Formats: sequence, structure tokens, C-alpha cells
Amino acid sequence: MTPLLDVRDLETRFFTRAGTVHAVNGISFSVNEGETVGMVGESGSGKSVTALSLLRLIPSPPGRITKGEILFGGRDLRNVDLGAMRAIRGHEIAMVFQDPMSAFNPILTIERQLTEGMRVHLGMSAQQARKRALDLLDMVGIAHPEAQLCSYPHQLSGGMRQRVMIAMALSCSPKLLIADEPTTALDVTIQAQIVDLIQRLKRELGMAILWITHDLGVTAALADRLLVMYAGQIVEEGPLRPLYADPRHPYTIGLLQSIPRLDRGRQDKLNPIEGAPPDLVTYPVGCPFTPRCPFAIPQCHTEDPPLMEVGMGQAAACWVRPHGGELLRPQSIQTVEIPSQGS
Amino acid sequence: MAEIVASTRSAIPQEPPRRYSPMAEFWQRFSQNVLAVLGLLIIIAFLFVGLFAPWLAPYSHTDQDLANTEASPSLAHPLGTDRVGRDQFSRLIWGARTALIVAPTSVIIGLTLGLLLGSAAGYFGGWVDTIIMRISDVLFAFPGLLFAMLIASTLQPRIESWLLSIEAAKPFVRSGYAEFFVVIAALSLVGWPGIARIIRGQILTLREQPFIEAAQAVGVPSWRILTHHLLPNALTPIIVSLSMGMGGAILAESTLSFYGIGIQPPTASWGAMIINNFQFWRTPSAPWMVWAPGLTVGVLVFAFNFVGDGLNEALNPRRS
Ligand SMILES: Nc1ncnc2c1ncn2[C@@H]1O[C@H](COP(=O)(O)OP(=O)(O)O)[C@@H](O)[C@H]1O
Ligand SMILES: [Mg+2]
Repeated sequence: MTPLLDVRDLETRFFTRAGTVHAVNGISFSVNEGETVGMVGESGSGKSVTALSLLRLIPSPPGRITKGEILFGGRDLRNVDLGAMRAIRGHEIAMVFQDPMSAFNPILTIERQLTEGMRVHLGMSAQQARKRALDLLDMVGIAHPEAQLCSYPHQLSGGMRQRVMIAMALSCSPKLLIADEPTTALDVTIQAQIVDLIQRLKRELGMAILWITHDLGVTAALADRLLVMYAGQIVEEGPLRPLYADPRHPYTIGLLQSIPRLDRGRQDKLNPIEGAPPDLVTYPVGCPFTPRCPFAIPQCHTEDPPLMEVGMGQAAACWVRPHGGELLRPQSIQTVEIPSQGS
Repeated sequence: MAEIVASTRSAIPQEPPRRYSPMAEFWQRFSQNVLAVLGLLIIIAFLFVGLFAPWLAPYSHTDQDLANTEASPSLAHPLGTDRVGRDQFSRLIWGARTALIVAPTSVIIGLTLGLLLGSAAGYFGGWVDTIIMRISDVLFAFPGLLFAMLIASTLQPRIESWLLSIEAAKPFVRSGYAEFFVVIAALSLVGWPGIARIIRGQILTLREQPFIEAAQAVGVPSWRILTHHLLPNALTPIIVSLSMGMGGAILAESTLSFYGIGIQPPTASWGAMIINNFQFWRTPSAPWMVWAPGLTVGVLVFAFNFVGDGLNEALNPRRS
């Protein structure tokens, strides 16, 4: 089966006055139909730039996709003309943004914004679109949809806005939904509700999802497969359970150790990874994680490791590839819950 | 994670939320500003007088009472008469009509030009932006009034002689309305660069807003983003500058007429009334003939500015 989305060697750069920002550095991944792929990484690791590259929404200047292919439904999106790209945006690939406040036009009603995609892509009349909007709002769990349609974004709570944005993204039944940290700006309890909502919609509608987050804990509930991003590269990828059980890149191990967990209690301190990600302007030689890596060997300083197969569908870009499962065990990795599908 | 994965459909029974319309909220804030409300009342009175001048004025603005020239105020002529016996009170009222023709038209034409050129410059950028903004810089560098005077004084005779050469246009020229064109054209040309700059600036900032990116991600075409998302967000400064611009245009029309290159007698214009009656200034018996039109212009300009301020505050509650 050919994947729905097949990204090959994607490279996106920003040519700024301060220098060239190496935001995305030759990443390759695919998303199959109906599959949920999680993309995790600290902030600044190039997740949003990847997402925007897929829709060709990189602000230009200063940004540009400098290399690679974005194969979607057999076409390379880098080569389609702007009109065709516009017809894909919101219709075949839809996006949910991180901040549900600023992603809404403050002076337009929810109805105007929720129905816009349907009017543009599906040629619906105002009445038809309104009717479907009501159904969509009901589907994403919003009470009193009629009243909400005539409200303005600032009159809704953050969680409600995010539900509306999800409804908006689903309005044209996209094949692929890109959710760029849709829960980051929300309270913890609301986060869980949104994760849960996406989970349900995924079951009911069956679209593919690229689920972007900086939090391995929330991702876990949703993804079939994970991509771990660091400094604009995919440093590890693999199916959810094996990757959790035996992470093989020191960065993934570090991320797993820094998940806040209910079973640890509040006073138990987390283990955030020491140090900061590299400067993407003066991109380092060798593995970009070296300065923060407890396992670094001389080779790491000179040679950037490619992704290397470490197990069934799992690969890590590391010369050392320590067994993370063993390293995590003393800190009771057994208690990291990986919810089973549909819990 | 299991315990937080609970209900998805929010089944909590709630009252449907009450929503105040933005218009009601706006009016509530606007009406708290006493000066703005006062200004609005003055403007409404001005509109009323301008619209119904022929029925409100006791005499026509061209009627000459030759037996009663340079008369002092009396019951028959509340503001007296001028050198050729025209009732000053009636001319003041007819002057409102002149202002009401010139100011809104020139402001709206200037606004349309500014809107088109400013949004083109801001949205397309590149050489479109460069060309439009350089032209606007040049126009901006002149004192606006001087430029309007230049246009009015050079164009007026030409346009009139051209119109007179067309048989059908002759009655129109004789009616005295042809000169309105020149004044309106001059004021519109002076007015657009300011608006264009405001719009361009607005578009440039708004373009960077996440909701524009979100609209692009929905696949909304560029022109629709411009008309449905960008311009409506720039509406506040447009409305405010519209109000301020009206005051400015009234003043500018009066000034052009004061210098004799605007609206020509016998058509009534406040600026022309001031200059024509200026000599009375020296005869202490008749200062009102200068005061009355001068005061009217002043009060109106203030009224439009107060309303502009009030609009700005009421439309931008977060800013104040
Ligand atoms: N418009 C831009 N101009 C310059 N640099 C940018 C721009 N957008 C993103 N970047 C840079 O690209 C890198 C990746 O950013 P991003 O993809 O937003 O990270 P995240 O993983 O948090 O989503 C960051 O270093 C960021 O500074
Ligand atoms: Mg991001």
C-alpha cells in the first residue's frame, strides 16, 4: 500500500539577516491512511515548520523549502500550482493550530469562520453550510450550537475554541488532519478532553492524523507511531509500544524521563534534559545532540548519524544506541502507562 | 490517563449563553463620551440643515434685496445682508449644503483611492508597494492645502472652458455646480495618501497575525482573505479617519473658497463668505458677518474630531 503522505528528505530554511536558520534538515516520514503519527520534540525542533511546509505555508521571504518531495495522493505538493495547493488546503489536508485564540479572526462570528471552508471548497450555500456547521459543533461536543454560531471568538473559553477549530478542520472531511500542539495552550483537564475528542473522532471518521506535541505523555494516548524530532531532524522513530519500552536514542530516553507522571507525586522531581538545543544558524558538525548527551563518543562530534534500524520498524539516529529500557527501569518505567487503543 | 479519558460530548446542561451584539456594546461605550455625543448631535443638525436648506432658509442664497444692502441684523435679516443685499443667514444655511456636497464626496473618493492603493501596496508588496508608496510620499511632502490650491487653480479654467465647448454641458456649468468637480477632485487627490498609509500599515501588521495563516490553511483565496479578513480588521482606523477627514475637508473647502479658487459666488460657501465680508471686519458694526461662518466651520471641525475620538475609543476598548 502506498502511504497517503510520503515526505522525502524535506529541508526548510529561513534566510534571515542573522543568518540561515536550518529549521528542517532532510527529514523523511510517511503517514498511511487512517494512521495517527505522533511528532514529538522540544519547542524549536522544527515541528511547526514541518507542518507548514506540508501545506506550503512557509512565510516567504524569509523561508523556503529548499529540498525534498512531499508526495500526497501520488502528487508532489512542491510542484503543484498555487490554485491546486489552495484546493488541497482545508479540503484534503486540514490543520488545527496551537493557540485557539489567535487562530481565529477576532471580529468575525464563529459561523463565518466555521463555514468558510465549506463555502470555498464544497460550494455550499450559506444555509447548507450553517446546517452542517451545527452538526459539526454537536459532533465536537459543543452545547447550544445555534447560540455559539453567532458568538465571537473571545466569548468562548479556550477549550471551546479548540473544539470549534477542530470542527472547522473537519468540515470538509480531510484525508489528513495536522494537529500542531492543539492542547499546549489549554489547561490540563481541558487537554485531556481534547485528546479524548480527537481519539473519538479518529475512530468515527477514520482520517489520518499527524499529531504534533512536545509532550510524550499526551501523544501516547493517540499515536500509532512516533517520530522524535531534534534540531530539525528525526532522531528516532518507531511504533508506540516498542519505542516506549526500549527507546534507543538518548534524546528519546531523556524525554521519557521528563514526563510528569501521576504515580510519582508532586514532590518527585522530573529529569529534564540538561542543556539547550543547538543554534540552528550555526548548525553543528556531527550529531546535534552531542553537547547534551551522556553517552557521546568521539565519533559523535565529527559525524552526524543517519537513522539506523534497531528493531521492527524502529530506527534511531545514534552511533551508540543504548538500551533505554534498561536505563529507564530503575526509575520505574514499568509504570509508564501506554493506554491501549480506544481506552 | 484512563480516569481523565471520560466524557467527550460535554453533557453538562447549561443555559444557552447570552450574547450582546457588538453594535449594542459599541453604542454603550460611545454614548458615555459626552463630547462625542455632542459632536454627533451637531453633525446631525448639520446634515439636516444641509439636506433641507431650500426649505429652511428664509430666502434663496442668490436673492438680492437691493433696497437693503449692508444691512444690520433685523427681524427680516437675522445676520444682516452683504454688499449686494443677499441675506447672510440664508447663505449660511446654503453653505451647509455646499459643505455637505463637497466634504463627503471628496472624503469617500479619497477613501476609495486610499483603500485600493493602500491594500494593494500592503498585500502585494514588492514593486507595487514601492510605486504606490513613492507617489504617496511625493503627495505627502507637499502641504496638502497648497497642492489642492495648485490643482484647483490650474484645472478650474481648463475644465470649465472644456465643458463650455460641449453644448449639453453648458447649463450645468452655468448652474454653478461644475466648480464642485474641481474642488472635489483636488481634495480627493490630497486625501488618499493618508488613508493609503493607514491601510497599508494595518495590512502589514495584520498579515502577520496567526488567524491569517489559519485562513490560508483553510484554503481561502487571497482576494477573499483581503476583503473578508484583512480589511474588516482595519475598519476602525478607516472609520476614525473618515470622521476626522470630514472635518478636514470642510475646512479645506472653506479655505480654497476663502482664497477664491474654490466654490465661486453666487453659490454659497462659508469660506467665500468670510473673505467677502472681511472688509466689514473693520467697520465695528458688522463683525458677525465674519464670525458666523467662521464659527460654523470651527464648530463643525471640532464636532467631527470629537466624534472621531469617540469612535476610536468605543471601537478600541482594549487600547484605552
Ligand atoms: N518565520 C521564521 N523566520 C525565521 N525563523 C523561523 C521562522 N519560523 C520558525 N523559525 C525557526 O525555525 C525553528 C523551528 O521552529 P518551529 O518549527 O516553530 O519549532 P517547534 O518544534 O516548536 O514547532 C526555530 O528555530 C524557529 O526560530
Ligand atoms: Mg510549534
